[in-house]
Amino acid sequence: MKTDQEARPDGRGLRQSMSDLHTWVGLLLGWVLYAMFLTGTVSYFKDELSQWMRPELPAQSGVPDQAVVAQRVADELVALVPGSPQWSLRLPDARNNSVYAFWRTAGTAPGQRGFGEGNFDPATGQTVSSRATLGGDFFYRFHFQFHYMPVVWGRWIAGIAAMFMLVAIVSGVITHKKIFVDFFTFRWGKGQRSWLDAHNALSVFGLPFHAMITYTGLVTLMALYMPWGQQVGIKTPAERQQFNAELSAFIQPGKPSGEAAPLASIEDMVRHAQERWGRDGVGRVTATHPGDAAARVAVARGDGGRVSMSPQYLEFEGTTGKLLAVHEGVGPAAETRGVLYALHLGRFSDTVTRWLYFLVSLAGTAMVGTGLVMWTVKRRQKLPDPARPHIGFHVVERLNIASIAGLSVAMAAFLWANRLLPETLADRANWEIHSFFIVWALTLLHGVLRPAKKAWVEQLWLAAALLALLPVLNAATTHRPLWRSLAEGDWVFVGMDLMCWALAALHAVLAVRTLRHRAKLRPARKPAPKTVNEPAGGAVLREG
Amino acid sequence: MTHLSSFILCLTGFAALAVAMDRPQHDLFGRSLPALATAALRVGGAASLLGALGLLVAWQGWALGLVMFSGHTSLGAGIVHGALIVRQRWVARSN
Repeated sequence: MKTDQEARPDGRGLRQSMSDLHTWVGLLLGWVLYAMFLTGTVSYFKDELSQWMRPELPAQSGVPDQAVVAQRVADELVALVPGSPQWSLRLPDARNNSVYAFWRTAGTAPGQRGFGEGNFDPATGQTVSSRATLGGDFFYRFHFQFHYMPVVWGRWIAGIAAMFMLVAIVSGVITHKKIFVDFFTFRWGKGQRSWLDAHNALSVFGLPFHAMITYTGLVTLMALYMPWGQQVGIKTPAERQQFNAELSAFIQPGKPSGEAAPLASIEDMVRHAQERWGRDGVGRVTATHPGDAAARVAVARGDGGRVSMSPQYLEFEGTTGKLLAVHEGVGPAAETRGVLYALHLGRFSDTVTRWLYFLVSLAGTAMVGTGLVMWTVKRRQKLPDPARPHIGFHVVERLNIASIAGLSVAMAAFLWANRLLPETLADRANWEIHSFFIVWALTLLHGVLRPAKKAWVEQLWLAAALLALLPVLNAATTHRPLWRSLAEGDWVFVGMDLMCWALAALHAVLAVRTLRHRAKLRPARKPAPKTVNEPAGGAVLREG
Repeated sequence: MTHLSSFILCLTGFAALAVAMDRPQHDLFGRSLPALATAALRVGGAASLLGALGLLVAWQGWALGLVMFSGHTSLGAGIVHGALIVRQRWVARSN
């Protein structure tokens, strides 16, 4: 970074270098951060999104008795994956109308750990007969590990991006010295000044949230980013087991006895947990070596209503159903992690709090977006010839189009693919994802080929159209159109339809404003036809 | 219900704090308000925000209460800001 501090009075120098840091750190990973923010934002409703993407599963009018469902699906798993050393199932709750289960497959070669997964119908215990889809989990997983690359790479990239975000937040606060004086300031129609005011407002109003979400995001993957303490402190298998028990309710399979013995009643075990945590308070049932005399079952508490992801679970002897241990608390360090982790995921939230999480995250997305756009707005006025910008400007401008407007188009296209791809298509769930990336790549191509402003407007309109027509497509391709959802009180589908229209309206407003932008400013200008933006009020970033 | 009352407290709190600032005073009234009125708005606004925090913490404890408070303040401030912008535009257009 260039420093010209000697030439400046004290104080000014620090802010200027922080401003440079903020600009370049923000730009370098801004596109990645924008995608992480937006996919993370929608992930607060990932369970609802998954319900919408599996329209064959009927709406849940109330949470079924978890104990009965657990027994039902456990029976199915015993039949489906006999000899599996471990399976785990997430029970239905207020937001999930299916049971998600995963299992280790028996008899895989040593050193190789095979896994299987599936969704089950709480009413029958059978595998759900819905279209193959990853549902809302696609956005959720993309948010921290991306796609088409090893999971670990993706998580490292997400970690580096989050670290950059922290630097951007701190340097942004230092740069923005008038944080309180400018608290409610917005100067309309002043080009760069307006962008900066918007960027500041979006950042400052949600500042505690943005700082929290970035920091806690790093904490969720801290064992990957900073494994050294753990490597030094934990040596023996017994220590490792104790360590795992502090972090997770997934009990690990020990050695099987080799003696066959059926599982005792899972229903009774879950009943026991319900007495402790309430009727709908059970989250997960994990069994190790089911069918063996050494079987163990853990019944874990759900995430609702407690701001901690620290495991709380009851451990039972599998064959007798005898309660072996109650794990209800962890050490202070593990609990700190549990709380920070929970803050990031927000799974404890009631509906209002979840909407608050969603809205403030959306503001965070807009904060990153306005920051990216500002980079070009600020530099466009300084271009010697705006019609022929230099290559760096060109690249940033085009990447902005595809990563902001293009992502909206691609995400909407993912939902369209969910409704349009034939159910018999081989590898269907993956093709939904491929559709997302194909459309995203096309928006980049479009952004490169079209004049910048036209590309912005066209892609924003396309996103608006795709979103606005999604409820129509849903009405045409499923048996759950809006009028029926309304009549039946199916609020997940009603909410999804209304949200699509709200987001379509937002994109339409952005498209109209982008379209009018130049036309509106031109008459105000005296003869200088080549410059596109109104000059801003002074050298903004330096003081802002 | 607690959500609604906390949100209203945050909204009025930020509205009072906004009106206690010089620039919005000029936009709204064309002049600065007397120092006493400004001080009263500032104290009232802060008290209103603290009231919201108190309500939420009493209802859900510190952990959940603080998270919810942070959400309500962000939304409240955002809406006050949006309202000021809309009003400013409206005035500019009608002139």
